Amino acid sequence: MKTSYLFPNRFKKIGWVIFILGALLGILYLIFGVNSDIKMFDANVFAVITDKRWADGITFFKVVDNNILDEIAGVLLIIGAIFIAFSKEKSEDEFISKIRLESLVKATYVNYAILLFAIIFVYDWMFFWVIVFNMFTTLILFVIFFKRALYKSNKQLKNEE
Amino acid sequence: MKNSIKVERAKKNITQAELAKLVNVSRQTINAIELGKYNPSTVLALKMAEVFEQSVDSIFQLEDRDR
Repeated sequence: MKTSYLFPNRFKKIGWVIFILGALLGILYLIFGVNSDIKMFDANVFAVITDKRWADGITFFKVVDNNILDEIAGVLLIIGAIFIAFSKEKSEDEFISKIRLESLVKATYVNYAILLFAIIFVYDWMFFWVIVFNMFTTLILFVIFFKRALYKSNKQLKNEE
Repeated sequence: MKNSIKVERAKKNITQAELAKLVNVSRQTINAIELGKYNPSTVLALKMAEVFEQSVDSIFQLEDRDR
């Protein structure tokens, strides 16, 4: 039976390149961009919904000015992480699929455990930042758990030799 | 579920890697099955039985805890 919904193996490397680029831009944003200090990323963007000007309330379908460094970083991080997480292994088979599923379940649990903790114990702007990081943590946790499980089963092979 | 793959491999004198190649899975999968850590799909069990020229239920048997 073929494993469906996965990218070809070569997307994994592409994913790492995109993800690392996104991570670098993300760090750049955290250091300089939060206050929109890097002007080269200022752009007019089309907003489906925005409340940029508080006085106007919520407005729909409007062009607004925005520093797009965080948007670029977010898009790259998510696409990169998806490619890394959901590209086939070199020898993707039914056992690897089982490990994949178990890792995904574990990652989802841990991610929401962290979020539950944050909902109860983290407040104000710090909670905003928790949500920002939470956009990526399910995928990142999944990659960590999956790699660890693969490493373990590989190590078991070495013991068998 | 227990299995006699290791024994069958020894009889046929093939390694985990060779069996893996014959049934088109990774070595990890064969190893996990031999260690009882993974129950193969019916398709994979049939393929392995074919390699060993045996019936599936002579290679794979239910244990009490499966019942």
